Amino acid sequence: MIALKTVGHPAARVDALQRVTGKATYTGDLHLPGMLYARVLRSPHPHARIRSIDLSKALALPGVKAVLTHENCDIIWGSGDTKNKRYLFNNPVRFAGDAVAAVAAIDRHVAEDAIRLIDVDYETLPFVLDPEEALKPGAVEIQPGGNLSPNNKGEQKPEAYGHGNIEKGLSDADQVFEDHYSSAHINNAQLEIRVSIAQWEGEKLTVYASTQGISMCRIEIAHDLKIPLENVRVVCKYMGGGFGNKNQVHDFDLMAAMLAKKAGAPVKLEFTRKEDYVAVHGRWPTKQYYKVGVKRDGTLTAIQFRGYSGMGPYRKSSGDIAGVEMYQCPNVEKLVYTVLTNKAVSANFRGPAYPQGVFGIESLMDHIAYELKMDPVDFRVKNMTRKYHDELPYTSFGLEDCVLRGAEAFGWKKLWHAPGAGDGPVKRGVGMAMGAFGAAVGRSSAVIHMDSKGDYELHVGVTDVGTAAKTTMALIAAEELGVPLAKVAVVSGDTEVCPYSVGESGSRTTTHTGYAVVQAVKDLKQQIADKGMPEGDEIRTGSATPDPAQPKDSARYSFAAHFAEVEVDTELGHVRVVKFLAAHDSGRIINPLTCASQVKGGSTQGIGMALHEELLYDPTHGVALNAGYYGARVMTHLDTPEIDVLFVETEDQYGPFGAKSIGESSIIPSVGAIGNAIFNATGKRIKDLPITREKLLEVLA
Amino acid sequence: MSKISRREFVETTGAGLVVATSVPLAAQEAPAAVAAAPRTSIKLTVNGTEHRAEVEDRWTLVEVLRDHLGLTGTKIGCDRGECGACTVLLDGKPVYSCSQLAVWADGRAVQTVEGLAPNEHLHPLQEAFIEHDGPQCGYCTSGQLMSAKALLDHNPHPTADEVRHALTGNICRCSNYNRYVESVLAASASNTLGRTA
Repeated sequence: MIALKTVGHPAARVDALQRVTGKATYTGDLHLPGMLYARVLRSPHPHARIRSIDLSKALALPGVKAVLTHENCDIIWGSGDTKNKRYLFNNPVRFAGDAVAAVAAIDRHVAEDAIRLIDVDYETLPFVLDPEEALKPGAVEIQPGGNLSPNNKGEQKPEAYGHGNIEKGLSDADQVFEDHYSSAHINNAQLEIRVSIAQWEGEKLTVYASTQGISMCRIEIAHDLKIPLENVRVVCKYMGGGFGNKNQVHDFDLMAAMLAKKAGAPVKLEFTRKEDYVAVHGRWPTKQYYKVGVKRDGTLTAIQFRGYSGMGPYRKSSGDIAGVEMYQCPNVEKLVYTVLTNKAVSANFRGPAYPQGVFGIESLMDHIAYELKMDPVDFRVKNMTRKYHDELPYTSFGLEDCVLRGAEAFGWKKLWHAPGAGDGPVKRGVGMAMGAFGAAVGRSSAVIHMDSKGDYELHVGVTDVGTAAKTTMALIAAEELGVPLAKVAVVSGDTEVCPYSVGESGSRTTTHTGYAVVQAVKDLKQQIADKGMPEGDEIRTGSATPDPAQPKDSARYSFAAHFAEVEVDTELGHVRVVKFLAAHDSGRIINPLTCASQVKGGSTQGIGMALHEELLYDPTHGVALNAGYYGARVMTHLDTPEIDVLFVETEDQYGPFGAKSIGESSIIPSVGAIGNAIFNATGKRIKDLPITREKLLEVLA
Repeated sequence: MSKISRREFVETTGAGLVVATSVPLAAQEAPAAVAAAPRTSIKLTVNGTEHRAEVEDRWTLVEVLRDHLGLTGTKIGCDRGECGACTVLLDGKPVYSCSQLAVWADGRAVQTVEGLAPNEHLHPLQEAFIEHDGPQCGYCTSGQLMSAKALLDHNPHPTADEVRHALTGNICRCSNYNRYVESVLAASASNTLGRTA
């Protein structure tokens, strides 16, 4: 790979100064003159019909300016449910946390007082929390038509994928392994609590949102409120994380807009942390059933998979369970049931379908390797697919290098041993797992101006969610221009001054908008070639909205392999991760400093998913029990090991300078690697996430 | 889902005691509902500047800092003492300012992230956070900085493990913990420590 001048060298974030001095302005930091504060009243019941709402006491409270309920607001939140109508306020309410009313008042305390003065008469209805229970005859119907959410074809059937002949594959096998795994609902839990500020100036609406995509947020606000796109402006200058749950417009953005309209004043709607946990969304919980056929030499003959994803009562995202496609196998059958339940809504969280599915398949493959007395690394190298779905070539393929070079750097051969070996009570063990995530190229826009002093201003519709996207865009522009990074200023996070860009979801910002930056710079160079350098007060402007594609008969993916060493205290059930290595093929790395930070962060989140996190429910009342950081036990400084990062840079001819994706692949193999390391340490396998102390003590007893 | 409001919190902690008469803070209208809430006059020093304020007894310290003094560098991540985004130094000691009532700060000195770099002169911790990529989304960064400042003030050369212990009350959901520890150790190693406040 040819070294470049700017791209590929570690660079501090272009806005790092703002981030360390408290000057970075996040949405909640804004204060508009005359602004009201809003709070939301939520259902205490998992399923109930609202008979009546009495607002008289709330409205009589001095300082209350506007109240919305299903009786006076019938706005449909389009991206809140892709299959059924989801209103801002629904009747019946379908989960404990579903919005019942929103109040705007002169300050947040009055708004809080007011929501407690609202009397709601509920008729409670039966509810169901488990996706398999929800499919049984006689289960309460959560949405019209039943609890099995339709597949991509609109049929009320599971999503199906397959090739070959599964029965033949299973009968061809020397040995068939059958097992089941499960994963929990966990919350994205970004540090910045939900907040939205809406302001009307005549027909024009400005929403200061906390969003992963200003462009999409704007389009959806215009759509849902039925107002012209040009009347909507969305601003998000700094953003305190999202990990997939700030992708679309959210109900609270729309509520803030409607309250502001009703009250005739700007409104800041704030969530509590507990609301953020129960009323937005988290990763979908899954139940996974596998049957895998193998030959004695470890060759796979069949993978049969049936999975259930609990989506809560509204279908926002795919609900897929991914991972089996990482293996080469002639006979595959995969069925995924996306099921409605009365739990908190589930939708995208970093690598949406992968970490939970990869935990399942990588645990099982680890186990098969063990039963066949094969080294798990050798088993992976033998069976990993080198073609997408065993069919399409990848534009570049670094998975094998991730596994082999990762194993070498980690010291796998020295550390791996027979499962459960060691005297204890504290036992060590190692585990590994693979991962893959899409890195397709696609449509986005960028605009770049040059003035006569030779300074550049790059306009991109990104919000930097913490990925250093602004810096990445500036590095790409500087590289293509052949100028120092300091010459490029980035304007982002405001639809008034930025072109449409793809949202910061699906790990697409670098591959999509980064490529648009390259093309915009090329256009600028052409302008200069045609018209000459700008002089005096002239500026030259380049712009581009490329819609690139890799060849139809190919696939573009990023790859990873993670290696973990754990120490399990077999008397206390405590797991400590002592060593961790993450090997990643993301094509060319644009900024090794911030890219490695993302890998460290994603890997660490995966450890939390493996060991700690789960939103627990009271089965009697259908209410979440442990919403919040303390209850969910998210990773802390003391839990986190040093994460070593190894980039396996492959040459790829698509994307900006051959860059692929990184954000989501960083969490995908981590969970499975931890589970497999615990097996190697103890000889016991926990199949239900999270792998808590309680579960470990039970199997170790 | 039961909700505990600040008012209930204040009532149950017995803090809503005094009704005061001094002038309300700027930018705060005082309609009937608000006027009914008990108020207290307090004096607090923030980043070296003395402020006199009449605060509602139910206001938390972070609320006064952010909404009334305009110091929005201090963040609210949970408002219930779990995440540490609101960490400030109260008489030099790190506290969760969401879990401190403003009235409790009467007569005391508060330092926030804005006070780390007087005259735009960055603290070594801030320089290290930039160089070692401490902040990802940056929302927890002020809290991490203040906990780190408190640590280095009494232990200028901590071990990595001491850093982890001192900062473990500061959650980073981007989970950039490695970078934060690296940053604090780098600041501790720099000979510029002690140069600034």
